[in-house]
Amino acid sequence: MSLLSTLDKASVIVRRDLLTAVRYRTGFLLSSAGAVTELAAFYYLSRAVGPGFRPEGLEYFSFLLVGTGFFTFLLMGVHSFLQTVQEAQQTGTLEVLMTTPTSPPVLVFLSAMSAFAANTVALLFYLAAGLLFGAPLHLNFAASIPVFLLSVIIAISIGLLAAALQLAIQKGSAVVWALGSVWFLTGTMFPVQTLPKPLRDVGALIPITHSLEAMRMALLEGAPLRALAHELLILSAFAVVLVPASLLFFTWTLRRARIEGTLSFY
Amino acid sequence: MPAVKLDSVSKIFRHRPALFNWLGREREGETRALDRITLEVAAGSVLVLLGPNGSGKTTTLKLISTMLLPDEGRVLVQQFNTCEDSRAVRERVGFAVATERSFFPRLSARENLDFFATLDDIPRKTRAERVDELLARTGLSEAADTLVMKFSSGMYQRLGIARALVKHPAVVLLDEPTRSLDPGSAAQFWNLVRELPAQNTTVILTTHNFNEAVAVGNSVAVLFKGTLAAERKLSATMRVDELRSFYFQTTGELEEVEPVASRSLR
Repeated sequence: MSLLSTLDKASVIVRRDLLTAVRYRTGFLLSSAGAVTELAAFYYLSRAVGPGFRPEGLEYFSFLLVGTGFFTFLLMGVHSFLQTVQEAQQTGTLEVLMTTPTSPPVLVFLSAMSAFAANTVALLFYLAAGLLFGAPLHLNFAASIPVFLLSVIIAISIGLLAAALQLAIQKGSAVVWALGSVWFLTGTMFPVQTLPKPLRDVGALIPITHSLEAMRMALLEGAPLRALAHELLILSAFAVVLVPASLLFFTWTLRRARIEGTLSFY
Repeated sequence: MPAVKLDSVSKIFRHRPALFNWLGREREGETRALDRITLEVAAGSVLVLLGPNGSGKTTTLKLISTMLLPDEGRVLVQQFNTCEDSRAVRERVGFAVATERSFFPRLSARENLDFFATLDDIPRKTRAERVDELLARTGLSEAADTLVMKFSSGMYQRLGIARALVKHPAVVLLDEPTRSLDPGSAAQFWNLVRELPAQNTTVILTTHNFNEAVAVGNSVAVLFKGTLAAERKLSATMRVDELRSFYFQTTGELEEVEPVASRSLR
């Protein structure tokens, strides 16, 4: 498949999602209002905690802003893969999509990338709104890019695993649930150093922990790329293992679903 | 060379009850949906699959489209094996599924067709023209820019047929294509099917309608309980009642209910 053809497909998928989103009319306004409410809650939480609490030497509101914003971004990214498969199963489009010459992993990948694009816009709005609430950012944009890309690649892999699980046992939501429920181990709202050693060790096995750590360093401390090397190395290792594993698992479950006739089960 | 060949094909669906099956009564065991079917369809012909509900008609179409993979035997489309060369098969097969609502509800008919045409690798420069042509041929030009969630069953069905044809397929699979169509639309559709063999397109169509079978078919195959019960060429002079008798003799089912008048005389 040529690059031009892939871009063409990506553009119609983005167009489909954009048109669907705007035609829900009030949906965009409601989710925007939800994000602002959430930020306000974090702002007042950080004020209630007081200026004395400075996790990792950072102002607490900024710590929360990057932690919750990026955690939600990655979690929603994983969820978008699941949603792509679930919606296609429920509307009956999945079986039809599987009869097009476009390969299923490419199809799911492009659909999820479209959702990631929307989530990226939401993340940028979230961070910008955080600035309005007075969060100080000391941004090293160049250093944040590899962290962002590696984190997205890992989220794509986990999302593909969720999509595969949805095809295999119709319960891909288990992956999203598991990832969402370990937020307290990842340093999303408070530093992992406050956890006991065994829980810190478990947290270190979750890629998002390293994404948040590195992202905070890049966005709030202006850390140079060199200072992020350790976290970037760990994220790269996760990516090297998860990308092929998730692709293989997805391809295998899809074939199983075609053999067992469960492609449209949900 | 036949356009489609089923070589001793079997398809088995296994029923795997959930845990704690004593809480409910989910079926166990397996269903042999197709049992060693061997069938050849000549290029540029129209084969009509007849058979009662659950006889394996839709399963046959799904196997040809690669939606399902066979448990035994092999399915070939223009000599491409659906298991080993699935992409080549999907490039050649268009499938109008019986699931009416297999479209994106908040996209218009035109937007839906454009979306699927892109995934079917129709080049961008010819896509709009192809979509417009098919909307016209299926009588949907006036509804082209209507969101499909506002469509009637018959309109969904016509759009499904347009989608199956959008990629200029060598083989078109039509699953009960006129089930929801009014008589006028059905007649228009029959004309459309009759034109396809002239373009060397092979059509496999399932129906319960003997009029339809006689109107468009070159041959019929009767499936009964997953086996190929009979095959027959349809001559130009074939009458509907002849086909009806052939079908009921083959399946051994009760041909017709008693007329209402005779019941009232009792």
